[in-house]
Amino acid sequence: MGVTVLLPYQIPEGKTGAQAIDYLTKRLLALGAIHTGQFLVDCETYISTPQHGPAKTVHVLHDSEYPASTFSILDNGAGKQIPLVADNLFDLLMLKMTSVYTSKKQTKIESKGARFEYGDFLIKLGSVTMMENFKGILIEIEYRPCVVLSYCWEMIRETLQGFLGMPIAKEYPAYFSQQIMNTMGQQQIHTKQNEVYEPIDTINQYLESFTNYRKQNVLPVAGGATGGASSAQNAAANMQGGNQRMR
Amino acid sequence: MEKLNSTLGAVRSLRSSVRQCFEQLADGTNAELAEDSRTKFLLKFQENFNNMNAQLREVESLINGLQAPQTPYCLGQTTYLAQETAPERQALYSQLVNSYKWIDKVHDHSFLAFNNLNQNNLRRSYVYCSQKRVRIPFTSCNNFDPDHTDKLLSEINLPLTSYQVCRPFGSNVVVIVTISRVLKAAIVCKGVLIEWVTVKGFDETLDPDDLWAESRYEVFRKVQEHTHIAMLHFFSPTLPDLAIKSYMTWLHSYSKLFLEACKRCGKFVSNGLPPTWRDLRTLEPFHEECRNC
Amino acid sequence: MQMTQITNSKELLSTALQSRIIPNQEFLLQGSILDSAVDHLIHRLRGLCDTVDASPEQFHDLEVCLSLRQPTQTAPLMLRVRRALDRDSPFQLRYIGQPELDRSRPTLVRSSIDVGCTSTILDFLTELGCRLDFEYVSRGYIFRKGRMKITVSKIKAVPGKQQEIGSETVSQSYLVELSVLAPNGQDSIGDEMRIFAEQLKPLVQLEKIDYKRLGGLP
Repeated sequence: MGVTVLLPYQIPEGKTGAQAIDYLTKRLLALGAIHTGQFLVDCETYISTPQHGPAKTVHVLHDSEYPASTFSILDNGAGKQIPLVADNLFDLLMLKMTSVYTSKKQTKIESKGARFEYGDFLIKLGSVTMMENFKGILIEIEYRPCVVLSYCWEMIRETLQGFLGMPIAKEYPAYFSQQIMNTMGQQQIHTKQNEVYEPIDTINQYLESFTNYRKQNVLPVAGGATGGASSAQNAAANMQGGNQRMR
Repeated sequence: MEKLNSTLGAVRSLRSSVRQCFEQLADGTNAELAEDSRTKFLLKFQENFNNMNAQLREVESLINGLQAPQTPYCLGQTTYLAQETAPERQALYSQLVNSYKWIDKVHDHSFLAFNNLNQNNLRRSYVYCSQKRVRIPFTSCNNFDPDHTDKLLSEINLPLTSYQVCRPFGSNVVVIVTISRVLKAAIVCKGVLIEWVTVKGFDETLDPDDLWAESRYEVFRKVQEHTHIAMLHFFSPTLPDLAIKSYMTWLHSYSKLFLEACKRCGKFVSNGLPPTWRDLRTLEPFHEECRNC
Repeated sequence: MQMTQITNSKELLSTALQSRIIPNQEFLLQGSILDSAVDHLIHRLRGLCDTVDASPEQFHDLEVCLSLRQPTQTAPLMLRVRRALDRDSPFQLRYIGQPELDRSRPTLVRSSIDVGCTSTILDFLTELGCRLDFEYVSRGYIFRKGRMKITVSKIKAVPGKQQEIGSETVSQSYLVELSVLAPNGQDSIGDEMRIFAEQLKPLVQLEKIDYKRLGGLP
């Protein structure tokens, strides 16, 4: 288990999502990476029924890298998020709560694709789909031996630049520059990039990206792969903009 | 000591009288001389012979009077071997002392040889050994006092590093070193000589009972190889304390394993690995393949 | 190189349910024994159960019971969180369903889901809308016999917020529970448990307790 950085990939103009994945796969293989199977990260969101007080949201995620676990993040609607890592039987429990928490089926979203190993790096090229609609490409890169981002960010950045063929900003990704609140609610001096990384951090990053993809669901989505790709382009552009705002 | 001297003197005189006796016998008698010279020869021989006997008895009595010398070597708790009751094992301790003496002698010789060879300037490694230095007071470095090892290790104090000393194999030490949040290393020592090093990631478990399992990460397997190279390089039986300290300093340079780019190619990643080699003198980072160019 | 297609975790779960490998049913027998006689029971159990030579395993748990009111159903959803006080282990979340009202069965049967989870669970459940019903500390011994689990434990009240040494005991006796967590459709385990319970007589009378008849409980 090591540091993971999740990066929305901006699909080059005039390319479909499938073509972009193909292009990245070729570059990775040329770099010396080895194809080691598939991966899947999915997210389902449950929302409390109106009779049950203020709306609360439970996001339930699964990551094929941690097949025995279910990750859930509860958003109480007042800015507080509580993460929970549990055995995957937790899914059965969620089913018991259907009368209070109902699943929003139309927002079920997943990132699925090929998994590569390059030295101790783990690189995943995921195509994000929601309701069978292609939404964009998420690149996950994990450097497994290292547990602190600030130690190995330059390595990750160099590898990313190596196969993406484009420059990556020197600053830490937005997710890592946020301040951590301690239990007393005070802001601590150090930020996430200096913390020991945990699997839930990967899940948080996925949830952040998924939420962004869902938000731009309100845009009219034309059917078919090409249409999907262009909307994904918008998504990536939005994300990039978001990143810049963060800095 | 005096007794020993007089015994040695007695042995000497015994030897000289034996020699006299044999000389006289070898000279023999003149064939043409008369009977009285023969009796004279016989008497002389008897006198010599009695002398010899007397001296032999004296030597024997002196030897009996001698105390067995105390063993000059105290090999720690192995002295208890001498109290072994099983007859076939009683000899073990004296054998041990003998071999110990041999080793000491080998040490002496090799030290002299080392000094001699050191004058030759064609050296491959940069081990520095001053000619001026007198022979250091020297105990065998693989049979060290545990307190000394503890003290030595407690003196080593590098930033961001924690040391945990345990002794799973009797008096010999295993040091678990945690460097920053980067890696863990188990250093197995015999006395103060490093025998084995296992390197693992910060999130892996390093159990003192299983020091032979390799890291699941390629980078730490590579680092482990390099620590073994360094272990041989820093090996210095004449200055074991310094060797340990310099080794620890070298090992500590891995606190920036992922943070430093290779000094030669300027890159962080090569073949999926960070610069895993650290120069033994300058501690500069290099990729394994950049190190020799 | 493994190229197997990754399947959705939901699908995996439903296949697992269909092939009946998920232990989601609890078979339970309960009884109690006076403090003065508990040593005899421990000796008996040490002789009967696995790992005869080792001393009995001890546990010290805090159990918190919460419920989630469901608007459409009359019965609330009962959840329990168990936390070990004597060691560092994951928290355990349990769902316990209503006991089945089948008189022909030798043991009480109720659906149950055990989930190991992180320490954020209590916070999570509270924010989820669960209400704290009650909490208690149980401390005692655990034995194993095959897949049967036998616990002999003392129930104590949680004294205020601080965990004091003189935790208040609720009664003068120990609670004895014999339980098995098994997948659906393995009813033969009930008979196995009944036979084992016979062997503990007359020290302790293990029975299926019908909570409805006790009254006062939801």
